[in-house]
Amino acid sequence: MDLLERERELELLDGWLGEAAAGQGRFVLVGGEAGVGKTTLVNRFCGMARGRARVLVGACDALSTPRPLGPLLDIAVSAGGDLDQLVSENAPRDRIFRAALSELDAGPTPTLAVIEDAHWADGATLDLLRFLGRRIGSVPALLVITYRDTEVGPQHPLRIVLGDLATSGTCRRLLVPPLSEPTVRALAAGSPIDASELYRITGGNAFYVTEVLASGTMGIPPTVRDAVLTHVARLTPAGRAALETAGVIGSTVDPWLLAAAVGPDVDAVDECLTAGLLRADGAVLAFRHELARAAVLDAVSPVRASALHRTVLEALRARVTHQNDPARLAHHAEAAAHRAAVLEYAPVAATRAAGLGAHREAAAQYARALRFATDLPDEQRQPLLTAQRLECHLTGQMEDAIAAGEALLAIARRAGDHPAEAEHQAWLAWMLVAAGRNVEAERASRAALDILAGIPPGPRHAFAFSVQAGLRMLNRDSDDAIAWGERAIALAERFGDAEVRVRAINTVGSARLVAGDEERGRAALERSLDLAREAGLEADVAAALSNLGSALGEIYQFPLAERYLTEGIAYAAERDLDRWHWYMVAWLALTRLFQGRWTEAASLAGSVIRHPGATAISRIMALVALGRVRARRGDPEVAAVLDDALALAAPTQTLQRLAPVRAARAEAAWLVGDQNRAREEARAAYDLAHRHGLRWHVGELAYWLWQTRDLVAPSPDAGGPFASQIGGDWAAAAAQWRELGCPYEAARALADGDEAAVRQALVEFDRLGARPAAAAAARRLRELGARGVPRGPRPSTRANPASLTTREVEVLALVAAGNTNAEVAARLFLSGKTVEHHVSAVLAKLGARSRREAVRTALERGLLPQTGGVQTPT
Amino acid sequence: MPRYMVHRTFPDGLQIPVTEEGAAACLGVVGKNADVGVTWVHSYVSDDKQTTFCVYDGPDPEAIRRAAERTGLPVHQITKVSVLDPYFYR
Repeated sequence: MDLLERERELELLDGWLGEAAAGQGRFVLVGGEAGVGKTTLVNRFCGMARGRARVLVGACDALSTPRPLGPLLDIAVSAGGDLDQLVSENAPRDRIFRAALSELDAGPTPTLAVIEDAHWADGATLDLLRFLGRRIGSVPALLVITYRDTEVGPQHPLRIVLGDLATSGTCRRLLVPPLSEPTVRALAAGSPIDASELYRITGGNAFYVTEVLASGTMGIPPTVRDAVLTHVARLTPAGRAALETAGVIGSTVDPWLLAAAVGPDVDAVDECLTAGLLRADGAVLAFRHELARAAVLDAVSPVRASALHRTVLEALRARVTHQNDPARLAHHAEAAAHRAAVLEYAPVAATRAAGLGAHREAAAQYARALRFATDLPDEQRQPLLTAQRLECHLTGQMEDAIAAGEALLAIARRAGDHPAEAEHQAWLAWMLVAAGRNVEAERASRAALDILAGIPPGPRHAFAFSVQAGLRMLNRDSDDAIAWGERAIALAERFGDAEVRVRAINTVGSARLVAGDEERGRAALERSLDLAREAGLEADVAAALSNLGSALGEIYQFPLAERYLTEGIAYAAERDLDRWHWYMVAWLALTRLFQGRWTEAASLAGSVIRHPGATAISRIMALVALGRVRARRGDPEVAAVLDDALALAAPTQTLQRLAPVRAARAEAAWLVGDQNRAREEARAAYDLAHRHGLRWHVGELAYWLWQTRDLVAPSPDAGGPFASQIGGDWAAAAAQWRELGCPYEAARALADGDEAAVRQALVEFDRLGARPAAAAAARRLRELGARGVPRGPRPSTRANPASLTTREVEVLALVAAGNTNAEVAARLFLSGKTVEHHVSAVLAKLGARSRREAVRTALERGLLPQTGGVQTPT
Repeated sequence: MPRYMVHRTFPDGLQIPVTEEGAAACLGVVGKNADVGVTWVHSYVSDDKQTTFCVYDGPDPEAIRRAAERTGLPVHQITKVSVLDPYFYR
C-alpha cells in the first residue's frame, strides 16, 4: 500500500532523527489501534532513513509467555559484534543492557532502533526499555517503540514503564490516527466497492481497508476477521493448510520450518505469498499483519491446532540449531499437550528467563511445567515449586508465591522432613507479611520457631530467626527484633550465609534506630551497607540506605535522613531498583515537609502518588506528606488524600504506618478547628504507640491529645520537644525544634508562649504560608490584648511586588543577617551552588547589583520579615 | 478537572489598565498558567481593587500555587468549589 496522509508523522520522525544525529537522543512512543498502520509507517521511515542512519529492528512476539528479550535477540542478529556474542552466550543481563546501549552509539551515523509491539513485551524487555529510555538523552540514537494503545490499560506493565519515561525530556509521542475518508476513497478508486460504506464499516483502519480491497469481494465483511477469512477462503485446501501451519509457528516464520512442517508441497506456500497473505521479510516469512494471523488461528479447531503444534514441535526438535529457543519449544509443547516436552523445555526456558531478569516470564514457565507435573513424585515437583515460589515472590505475585510455599510445606510434611518444614514456614511468614496478611504471618513464623527449637542449630535457624526478627522490627517490637536478629547474625556467620547476615544486621540496626538508639542503630546499618556493597548485593545496599533514611526520619533526624535518602535515591535510580526508589522519594517528601520546604515536599509526594508502580507503603508515606502540606497551608483536598492513606494503612495493622497516618489526620482536624475528631484520630493509635514505647510516635500523638484537652500529664514516653511542650516549657520546645531544623514545629511551640513569642510565631507562619496556624496565632494575640494585630491576610502573604519565592526570601534574610553563601547553605541544608543560584535570582528580581544593595532594597520595600527569621526567645 | 476559587489580596490595589499593556499582562498570566496545566476562567474584583476572587480550573491545589508563583500573584486562600445554579431546581 502506498503511504497516504502520513506526511506529518514522517516529518516529525525525521525531525527527531535530526535531533538524535546532533547528539540529543530521543525515544518515540508510536501508539495506535491494531491495524491502523504503525508498522507500515515505521517501515517507510526506516526506508527513508537508511543511508543516513543504521537501522535495527526487533519485535515482541505474541506468545502467551514471550521469549525474554525477544526484540533484542532480533536486533543482535543484525547488529552482530559484541551484542550478538553476549546474547548468544547468555551473559548477565546488565552486561547485555550496557552492550545494547553502546550498540546505539556504535556507528559514524546515528542509530535508528525500532522495537515493535511493546504491548507484548516480556519483563526483561520492559526493563531494557526503561534502561535505554533513561539514558538515551546523550546518545545519537532514535529509539522507536510501537504499541497498541487500546490494549495497554492502567494496570498493564508497559503503562508503568511508559509513565516512568514519559516525564523525561527525551520522550516524544506519536499517535497514528485511522485513515480519513478521502484517503479511503483514493484507495478504493477503481474497485467496485462503495467507498463511503467501506470507510463507515472499517473506521479507516488501514489493514482492514486494504484487506477488504485485496480479498476482491463485492460486499464488505462486517469485521476485520471476516475480511481475512474471505480472503483465505480463496486458497486451495493445501494453501490453506500451509497458512494455518504458518499461523501456529508464529509472527515470523522460518521457511525451512514451514517446509518441514507442511511437507513436500512447496507450491502451497507460494500460493499464500501470491495471494498476499504471507510476505517475504528478509530471510523469513511473515503474515501481512498480526490481525491476519489471529483470524486464521481463531478459525482452526482445537483438535487440529493441537496436531499442528505437535508437527511444528517435532520439526523444531528434529533440527537442533542455536536459535532453538526453549520458550518457543515450551509454547508448542503445551499447545500440543505434549507432557514430556513441556517438562523438558519449560524449566529450561524459566531458568533462562530468570537469568535475564524476566521474572514474570520465568514464573509463568514454572507454572506451565507444574500444570503438567501433578502426578510427578514429590522430589521432582519440589525444585519446580521452590523456583516458582522465588520468581513469584520477586515479581510481587504474592498469592501464587504463597500457594507454591504451601505446596512445599505439604511435601515436607509428607516426607516427615522437619527442618525443611520449618524453612518453608519461615518463607511463608515472609511472603504473608508482604501480602499484608500479618496474623497468618505471625502464626507461620511461630510454627517455624517451634519446630526448630527441637533441632540442633543449622543454617535454617539463621534464616527463620532473621524472618522473625524482621516481623518484630516491622511491628516495632524493638527489643524482640534485636534479640532474634542477633541470634540470626551469629548463626549466619557460623554457617557462612552472607545474605541472611546482611539482612539480619539491617534488621537489628533499623530496630535500634527507631527505638531511638541512634548511635548503635546507625553503626549496624552502616555495617550492613558495607557488607552488601562488598558482596554485590545491590537490593540490600538500597535497603540499607532506605532503612537508614526512613528510620532517621522517624526519629526526626532530618539532616542525616536527607543525606542517606539522597544517596539512596540516586543509587536505586541508577539500578532501576524501583521499589526502594519510590519509598525513599516518599520519605524525602516527609523530610522536606518537616524542614519547612513544602513546595518540594508536595511535588516529591505527587511524583510517588502519580506513579502506578509505587507500592502501598510508599504511597502511604507520600499521601501523609501531601495531606500535611495541604492541611498546613489551609489548602483544599486534605480529606481525600488522608482517607486514601488510612485505607492503605489500616490492613497492615502496624504502628509504623498507622501512627503517621493518624497523627496527620489529627493535625488536619485540629487545623480546621475540629477538636473532637482530632482527639479521636490521636486516640486511635495512641495506645498502640504506647505499648511499643516509641517516643516520637507517642510524642506526637500525646501532643494532639494534650492540645485537645484529653491528656493533662506529660507522657513519660513522649519524645523530646513534644514532652517539653506538654510539660508547659514552650521556649525549650521551640529551641529543640529549631535545633532539629523543623521551623513549623518551632513556630507552633512559640505560638503557645507569651505575646512576644506569639508575634514571632505569626511572622514565621506567614513566611511558611501556614494560613490556619497564622490565623490561630493572630486570634491568640488579640485574646492576649495585643494591639495592631490585623484581621485577614497579613503583609507577607500579600502581593510580593518583586515576586520573590518563599525560599528566596529565606535566603535573603540570612544574607541580611550577615551570613556568607556557605553559611546560608549550611543553615538551610542546601548546596553552595543552589544558594548561589537563589542569590543571583534575588539580585535579578530586585534589580540590585550587589548583595548589600539587594538587602537594602528588600528592607525598604518591606520584603523581609522584621525579625530576620525566628530567633531564640530571650 | 476540579475547579478552585482563589482569594487574593492586593494591599495597594490591583491595577490593570484597559490598554494594550493591560491586555498583554493578562495574556502573560494565561500563558504562564498553561505551562503548569491550569486555566484562569475569570475573576471578581472588589470595588476597592484590594481583593480578587479568581475562578481557576486545575489538576490540584499545588498546580494553582505553582501558577501563582510563576505569575507573581499572591494567594491568600484556595477553596475547591462546584457550581450551584439557582435555576437548576425549576
